[in-house]
This record gives sequence, C-alpha cells and structure tokens, in this order.
Amino acid sequence: MAPQDRLTLDRVTTATVLNVTGLSVSYGPHQVVSDVSFSLRRGESLALIGESGSGKSTIARSVLRLLPRSGRAEGVVDFAGQDVLSLPEKRFRPLRGRSIGFVPQDPSHALNPVRTVGSQALEAAALAGEPSRERVLDAFAQVGLDDPRRVFGSYPHQLSGGMLQRVLIGLTVLPRPRLIVADEPTSALDVTIQKRILDLLSQLRQDLDISLLLITHDLAIAAERADSLVVLKDGVVQESGDTAAVFTAPASAYAERLHADVPALNPDRYEHLRTVPDESEAKIRVSGVTKSFGDLKAVDDVSLAVGAGETHALVGESGSGKTTTIRLLLGLEAPDSGSITVAGEEVTGRTHRDLRAVRRHLQLVYQNPFTSLDPTWTVGRLVGESLDRYRVGTRAERAGRVREALDAVGLSPDLVSRRPSALSGGQRQRVAIARSLVLRPDVIVLDEPTSALDVTVQAGIVEVLLSLQAELGLTYVFVSHDLALVRQLAHTVSVMHRGRIVESGPVKTVFDSPREPYTRALVESVPAGVKGLR
Amino acid sequence: MSRGYKIYALRRVLQALVVILLAYVFTFIVISVLPGDPVTNTLRNPQNGFTEEEITSIVAYYGLDRPVYVQLWESLSRFVTGELGVSLRSGRPVSDLIGEVLPSTIVLALSALAVALVLAFAIGFGTRYLPRRYGQGVLRAFPSLFLSVPNYVIGLLLINVFAFQLGAFRVIDAEGGLATLFAAIALGIPVSARVAEVLIANLDHEADQEYAAVARSRGLGQTRLFLRHLLKPSSLPVVTVIALTVGELLGGAVITEKIFGRTGIGSLVERSVTTQDLPVLQAVVALAAVIFVVVNLVADLVYPLLDPRVRFGDGRSDDRKPGGRPPGGRPPGGRPPGDRKEVTA
Repeated sequence: MAPQDRLTLDRVTTATVLNVTGLSVSYGPHQVVSDVSFSLRRGESLALIGESGSGKSTIARSVLRLLPRSGRAEGVVDFAGQDVLSLPEKRFRPLRGRSIGFVPQDPSHALNPVRTVGSQALEAAALAGEPSRERVLDAFAQVGLDDPRRVFGSYPHQLSGGMLQRVLIGLTVLPRPRLIVADEPTSALDVTIQKRILDLLSQLRQDLDISLLLITHDLAIAAERADSLVVLKDGVVQESGDTAAVFTAPASAYAERLHADVPALNPDRYEHLRTVPDESEAKIRVSGVTKSFGDLKAVDDVSLAVGAGETHALVGESGSGKTTTIRLLLGLEAPDSGSITVAGEEVTGRTHRDLRAVRRHLQLVYQNPFTSLDPTWTVGRLVGESLDRYRVGTRAERAGRVREALDAVGLSPDLVSRRPSALSGGQRQRVAIARSLVLRPDVIVLDEPTSALDVTVQAGIVEVLLSLQAELGLTYVFVSHDLALVRQLAHTVSVMHRGRIVESGPVKTVFDSPREPYTRALVESVPAGVKGLR
Repeated sequence: MSRGYKIYALRRVLQALVVILLAYVFTFIVISVLPGDPVTNTLRNPQNGFTEEEITSIVAYYGLDRPVYVQLWESLSRFVTGELGVSLRSGRPVSDLIGEVLPSTIVLALSALAVALVLAFAIGFGTRYLPRRYGQGVLRAFPSLFLSVPNYVIGLLLINVFAFQLGAFRVIDAEGGLATLFAAIALGIPVSARVAEVLIANLDHEADQEYAAVARSRGLGQTRLFLRHLLKPSSLPVVTVIALTVGELLGGAVITEKIFGRTGIGSLVERSVTTQDLPVLQAVVALAAVIFVVVNLVADLVYPLLDPRVRFGDGRSDDRKPGGRPPGGRPPGGRPPGDRKEVTA
C-alpha cells in the first residue's frame, strides 16, 4: 500500500466505513442485484436479509471482489474513501484481509482440506505481516479455542464446524480489519454453537472496533445482532433502516411476511391448525433401545411413546443420535437391545419381507428435496412408485391416487409429467410428502423436512403438514434442530444429547420451563429478535 | 499406521496376487485354444526331418501330450517359482531374453512418463493463469487433440521433422539420448492428455471451492494460490491416473519402439508373435500383468498416506474402501453433515 493511501484511510475514522451506492450485479444477461444502496458506519453492524436468490451473497462478494468470472458489478462500493469496484487488482489486494475480512458460510469447506490448519493460519498471519506461531496460537485462544496447539496441528476434517468457524474468525480478526463481511456465518452450525459464534462476533466487534456486514436469511438473528437492516428480495431493496423500526413496524409487505414466517417470532402461529392427539393408543412405542457403532453408543436406552395423531419432535444437535433413532424406527438399522412397535407391530427382529408390511404404515420424508428425488424420474412416477411396488389397485386407480396425493399437498395435477429439475425447492418437498402419503400410512417420519428451504417456503410446507394431520389423523415423528419450528408444530418433544433422551414431555412445558441445563441451553440459543423484546 | 490401514493394505495385496494369477491362467487358456500348435507344427515340418518316434518323445518331454489342466498346473507352478520356460525359437531361457530388453523399455516408459507429467502440469497451470483467450480456448483443447492423434502418427511426424529435416538425432543410433527423448515424447503425449484432463478438471473444481475464495479474501495472490492451495488437492487423483496409464505406456511402447527402431519389450513381442514363440508371449503377458498390478497396488497403498482426508474408520467402515478414489477419481470431500460431531466449540 502506498503511504498516501494509509493517510486517506486514517483520516476517515469516524464516519462511514462502507458506502454502497447504486450497486447492480449481473451474471451474463441475468441481473441479480439491482440498484442497491446502503451504508455502514464505523463500529456498527448492518444485516442484509433475504431468502435464497435475493442477491445478498452476491452483494457480499461484490464488496470483497470475489464474484465469479461471469459476474459484472456496476455502481460504487466505497470503502474508506476508495471505490472497491474500480481499483486495479494490485491496489485492492492489500485491502483484502488487512482491511476487509471475510467469514464464510460453511466453515467445513473454507479451509484447504489437504493442509493443516496451522500451515494455513501461518500463511494468513504472514499476509497480515505477523508470521509467528505464537501470534496464531494467541489468536486461536482469543476466539475461545480450548486447545490451540491441537487445532494448529489438525487437518480441517478433524475439527468440528464450530471449531473451524472459530479458527476462521480468529484468522479474520488477526490483522485487525476495519470491516468484516460475514456471509451466513452460522447457518451450517448447530443452534447452541450458532449462538456462541454470534456472541463471539459481537464481542470481537466491540473489543476491536470492527464494523460488521452480516448476511443472513434469518430475520431473528439479524434483528438480534444488527444495528440496521436491509431487506432484499430478487436483488431489490424492499426496506431498510434502523433495526427496531424495521422489525417492530415493517413498512413493506415483504418484510411483514418475512416477519410472520419466522418460527422464532411467532410461536403460536399455527395454534388454530393443531389437532388434539388421541393419547389412549400409542401408535409408536420405543422401549429401552440401544445401538452402538464400535465404541460409540449412538442411541443409549431410548424409550418414547407417540399417540395416534400426535406430532412428536426429536431435537438435539448433530451427533446426538436423532438420525440413528429414526433409522432404527424405520427398520433401517437393527437395535442391539430393546423393542420398537409401530401400530402394534414389532419392527425389530423381522425378516426383510416381513418388514415390508410394517413399512407400508411408516413413511419417511427426507431432509433435502434436492437430493432425495431421482432427477430422471417424472413427478408421477416418483409419487406413484410405492403404489407400483406394493401393487396397489389398477393402473387407473394408481393414477387417481397420485393425483389425490398431489392435490393433498397443494400441487397441481399438471405436474405429473414434470421432472424434479423443473420444480422449486418447496415444490420438490411437496412431491416428497405426496410420495410418502400415497400409501395412506399411519406414521410419517419427517427428517428435518424444511431445513433446506427458505422461511416463507417452510411456512407453506408446515401448513400442508398440519392440515394433512387434521384431515387424515397422521402421526408424525419430526426430527429437527430448529427449536422454534418444533414449538410451532409439535405436541410433544424428546430432547436428545449424546444418544440419550435427557428430557421429554409436552412442548410448552419443556420449552417454557426446562428442567435440564442442556435443554435450557438449547432453548436459550433460539434467537428471539430484537434485544429486550424476548 | 492405523489398524484400518493394515487391513486395507493386506486385502489389496491379496487381491493383487489373485489378479496376477488369473491373468496368467487366462493367457494360458487363450493360447491353448488357439488353432495350430506351434510345437507340433515345427516338429512336423518335413524340412526338420523328425521321425514319428522322435516327435512323440519330444512332445512327451514337454508334457504336451497331457491334458490341458495338467499342463496349466505345471506351467502355473513353474511361474510361481519364477521359472518362465525356454524360447521355442532360440532355445534360450525366456527370463534371459526379457532381461536383455527390459531396461531399454523401462527407460523409455519412465522418460515418457516424465514428459507426460511436465506437459500435463504445464497445461494445467496454463489453463488457469495464461490470459483467458489462450488459456481457456487453446490449451483446454490440447488433451482431446493429444488423445485423438495416435502415437505412431506423432512418432512419424517427430522423426520426419527432427531426424530427417532438422537432423536433430540419427534414426540409426536409436538408443542415443536425443533419440530416446523424441521416442519418449511420442509415447508421452497421449499419456499427458489423460493426466491433463484430470488435472484441469480438478483445478477447476478446487478453484471453485469456498476455501480458494477465502484464501483470496485474505490477500493471497494467484500464483501462490495455485502453488499452495490448488496444486496438491488437484494432483492427488493424478496418482491414480498415472497408475492406470501404465498399460498405455507398455502398449504404446510396442509401437513406438518399432517406429524408432529400438530394441525392447515391443520388438521382442513383435518377433514372438510372428514366430509363434508361445513361452515368450506367455511370459511377456504375465510380466505386463505383474507390472500393471504392482503399480496400481502401490498407488492404492500410497494414496491414503498422501491424502489426510482418507480415513480408515472404526468397525463400521472396515469393509469399505477408504473414502475416495473412484476411477479417475476425486478424493472424498467433507464428511456428510450427519457425520459431523459438535462436541466442543
């Protein structure tokens, strides 16, 4: 950096750090960001909120000049008196890292997988002008990593997502940048980790006087962490301003809808759709089930009972045993001990052929509709597959039931000849639900059914699920890490931690007055919107 | 070294042994069902003037009158002890014949491999860092071009231009340094195409990864990004590709040696085929199988040591191959989300 640049940087201390004016970005002929303006003052934080495709990440990457080659940005991105977009690469590079830091979305892909964390940290420290091992270890300690030396010598895949995100934040703040751009810094992490990472960011921001540009899809997080908000949809600013103002009294219809669709902010939204379960008969009974993989007890003495028409949620962080529990329930794994009955029939200890009869009553909706549907099949074939497998009725009857199932999830019957690639994420997940409905099962296992979807799309899916339950008396086993969603949707909940159920009971009781410290930590991690409004 | 790796290594070694034996048996069967028995053909040739009794005694001496499976068993047990038999034409031990020509072929194959790697990595670097017009368009076309031109055409072109027109090397002195180099170029170019294809695809893939963007966001320049970040993960799968191109190097050597007038395994094979010298052919095929299997075995054993992500897990994954290395392969990426454990943060 030339000396005069330093001077300019130093003079602009109190005022605006980042000033974006009329930013438009296009990929080839597609304009994804149109005429976006906002400004961020020193030491403050600003959140860009929007759903997928809203252009929020593209804006972040324009500020960092990390757009892919096909991306074209116009307008002015003024960082401390220099136009980032028009600077030659040579003059912009010294700003990278040293003045503008970047915290990426998915920490597990943000470090080179075949080099140790330490070697990459040293490289980053060298770019910041401080290439010493001690400096790096200090930075690791500063971001709350317990064992900096072990982290230093590890490969990225040997660390958890939360630890990696701490490493990345540590490396980002090491050169004391003026601005940090954080692109969904916690969306790949568990809720409790999410809270700790956000706390860490807020803390560092205050201690080191760093401005934060936070990109998020989660209005509750944005409201809790940012001084001002910019709400984006399809690359256009819908609303912007002071957080409290936008949050409590949204002026635009879109911001209002976004607010209404965030589960954390509307715990009782679906009260009118909820059914009263029939507690007299247990549809699912799991008693004393244990399953180990090697030395790891994935599921440890788990018992639960779910009544007919009830929604039972399994919550807990990654690795808590939720997924193994439902795999046992579906008969995809055999338990080491214990028994599982579904609709009065034993799932465990059956032959493969025998299990088919049980599975008919027991269907699964998988987490990610982008990978769970065969892209070469049509919607009609996808939905009708299990009818064909179980040889139900005549061809015409099957076609009728496929249409019926599509209708039940709010999809047009015209879609039967389409393929998944022609559908949106929400439509795909509706197809997956229709697919599980078509055999008229008693029990549907929902494995994080909305975690890959935007909040407004999620709201639609939740409505479909609840009205289907009311209509058909379905029993749901609902696996989720999103406690706010569980609060909206479920009747009862089991909290899992390290393979055990630590607490269970009616959702309201468990969430409003948790007995176990672990449950309390989970509940407290849910972002509640603007500080003080909880 | 973990227990998982030892089990994996043992399994691969056993598999390799089985493959070699099967290859030997397969060659034996193919040769024995071929019409025309070269031994009796030779013996019955009136010019050689053997009597019927002499023929019978010679045939009995070689065991050729016994059932095929007995012959196979004997041949196999000799092969296992390293005994390759005697050439029908020259009467010399096959191992001597092969020992004479093998070094020359190995020199050629290794030089060709070196040429291929240098070329492939140069192309790989170029596709990323030459100005876009040359890098993207022209260089990216090279692998397909190299693959579509047979190596004898490349060899003939090289001889025509460099030996005849420019006089850079003498065709008569086939084993000279420059002559070897040009033969290696002819043999290495198609191989470089395979390596470059994988390398370019991997470089593109790695450059699109989030970690590349994050490294750039810290102020890392393009050259250092290539050398320190992209090169290693992109070249790991190349280990597999190199092992797979051994077949191409050996097969290509036959033609290349002919064109450049070199003596080597290629010329030996050619002579043995035309004279139906079956023991030599059988031995060369077995040798090729051994080389191919051993090189691939080494690649399989070395790969997990090079790539820190390949894990040999607990009881659950003992039955599986270590994570990655699908054909032409990309190493396994991150773990699936369900597998990630958030214990401390």
